[in-house]
Amino acid sequence: MKFSFFHLMPYTHLELESHECPFPNRYFDAAKASALYRTYVESMIHAESCGFDWVGCNEHHFSPYGMMANPNLIGGALAYSTRRSKIAITGNLVPLNNPIRVAEEYAMLDCMTGGRLVAGLMRGIPHEYLAYNIPPGESWERQREAVQLILKAWTEPEPFGWEGKHFQYRQVSIWPKPMQKPHPPLLISASNADSAKFAAEMRATMGMVLLADLPSGKECIRVYREAARAGGWEPAPENILVGMHTCIAETDDEARRHLGQGLKYFDEVLMGGLQASQRIVLQKTRYFESEESRDRWKSRLDKRRTLSLDEQIERGTVLCGSPETVVKQIRRIHGELGHGVFNFTVKVGTLPDDVIRSGMELFRDRVLPHVRDL
Amino acid sequence: MQPRASKIALSSGELSFYAAGEGRPLVYLHPAGGVRWTKVLDELAKSFKLLVPIAPGFDGTPAHPSVKSMKALAGLAAEFMEKTVGAPCDLIGCSFGGYLAVWLAAQRPDLVDHLVLECPAGFRPKGHGGRPPDPEELKKLLFLHPEKLPPETKTAEIEAGNRKMLPHYGYAADTDEELLALLPSIDKLTLILHGTADRMIPGESVQLLKSRLPHAYLVYIWDAAHAIEVDQPERMLAVLTSFLQRSEGFMVNWGSLAVNP
Repeated sequence: MKFSFFHLMPYTHLELESHECPFPNRYFDAAKASALYRTYVESMIHAESCGFDWVGCNEHHFSPYGMMANPNLIGGALAYSTRRSKIAITGNLVPLNNPIRVAEEYAMLDCMTGGRLVAGLMRGIPHEYLAYNIPPGESWERQREAVQLILKAWTEPEPFGWEGKHFQYRQVSIWPKPMQKPHPPLLISASNADSAKFAAEMRATMGMVLLADLPSGKECIRVYREAARAGGWEPAPENILVGMHTCIAETDDEARRHLGQGLKYFDEVLMGGLQASQRIVLQKTRYFESEESRDRWKSRLDKRRTLSLDEQIERGTVLCGSPETVVKQIRRIHGELGHGVFNFTVKVGTLPDDVIRSGMELFRDRVLPHVRDL
Repeated sequence: MQPRASKIALSSGELSFYAAGEGRPLVYLHPAGGVRWTKVLDELAKSFKLLVPIAPGFDGTPAHPSVKSMKALAGLAAEFMEKTVGAPCDLIGCSFGGYLAVWLAAQRPDLVDHLVLECPAGFRPKGHGGRPPDPEELKKLLFLHPEKLPPETKTAEIEAGNRKMLPHYGYAADTDEELLALLPSIDKLTLILHGTADRMIPGESVQLLKSRLPHAYLVYIWDAAHAIEVDQPERMLAVLTSFLQRSEGFMVNWGSLAVNP
């Protein structure tokens, strides 16, 4: 089992609930953000020495939910401060960006890290489409086309042009090209059947976060495996990433208390504006290609919101407790899902950074030795 | 636009051809399935004098006994261009016709201005791609969007006749090494078009062409299989017309991204 230390990089100095969209940036304090960035990046660098195989972050816009408008900048900050861990950008929001720029920046990161990039190519959550004024109804088309274009940009031996529906380039010849051949491993979100099929089609590692329950995660993995087999390949356990909020402390009570407080900020402050904008996008557009996928998304978020922390622990959708408890939880979830990469979202809302630090060390000393060989 | 069917006497026999439109001459060499009058040809005929010769033996026309190789067929196409145009003109070849167009450009550079190779055959790595004998399998390889296909006008007999002409011309399934060696000598400004989902002509073929032709551009047409003209006519026309009108200038975006100018 591989372990990934994932950071959302939230802005944690808000004392109000907001359901506005976008979240008004009059509440933003650059000096506080500057200190947060330093703390967050230092903790990501420290993750390598705590035995994490991957260190990662992702892209969000116009919200205190995550301060990584361009996660590749964080990748650059990690490139020379880490030696062994994969730098997992999970990932760039492909339909929102210039795909050639994504291909270029990822190629830079792969060279800078000596071939340690895991290249996330994500469609993004609905509210990001408001931020960049991209029609949500075109998200899937843009995603499919852009991913193919990025792969061409990485692998084509000669300069080439691209005449697509959403992207047109007369001549492409990126410098640098990626170090890993034929290209860096791909990670694509697969939290519903449509995206699981697409991830399999692209021979990407599938990623699932914020699970409502284990059976729904299991179903996505089944669809992914089936689609991969239909496409002529067999995914390894390392091709399945499952991400969960994680808090490890000396005792179960301590971990629950910290995560409970963090989740309150996460759900009430960080998710507030996002939920409002997502409702608008989901009601008014065809962000999801099928009603079934849309309903599944809504029900997943609704379920998560209404469940208590105890219920989430019981369902196996968060990791929370003493090292011994977390070992049991990891074993149980792995037994159900059979995944090969466990992605820990460690900074849940206002969960204190010193708690995260000590949790990382507990992970290294008392969790990892018991689950490494899963 | 309805093409006019005509005939012309050439040294080895009579050659049938279609003509449509007025303007700068543009010769189009058809694929192995014969002439299919697609939306692309229709649109080209609005700006060019489009000439489409039918290779002898295709589409129910008689074969010319003395013309038995791709090289010889290219010579016949060159004679057609000399007699109908009489000066360098733009040349498009599609698949089998693309292979032929390369032979023509290599042998008679004096007759060619811009060269356009649409998913050209003739340069397949051994064992990759190819034309399956089963018609249903062939259709799957040709079209990603068969729903865009206009009603078929060719009879089964004509289609079978077309298939027999490939061995007649010694059509190479793999790379034509003799022609490959000539590629560096073709100095024409060339546009190579390839569908991103083309499994009949593998990507390696067009990459090889791009690397050997001194002045070539390669453009992928997204969401198209081998029959780009059927799958994505608008995308193909956008690139093709820009190339024919602006030469190297086709690399420049001459439009505007302003939404509210």
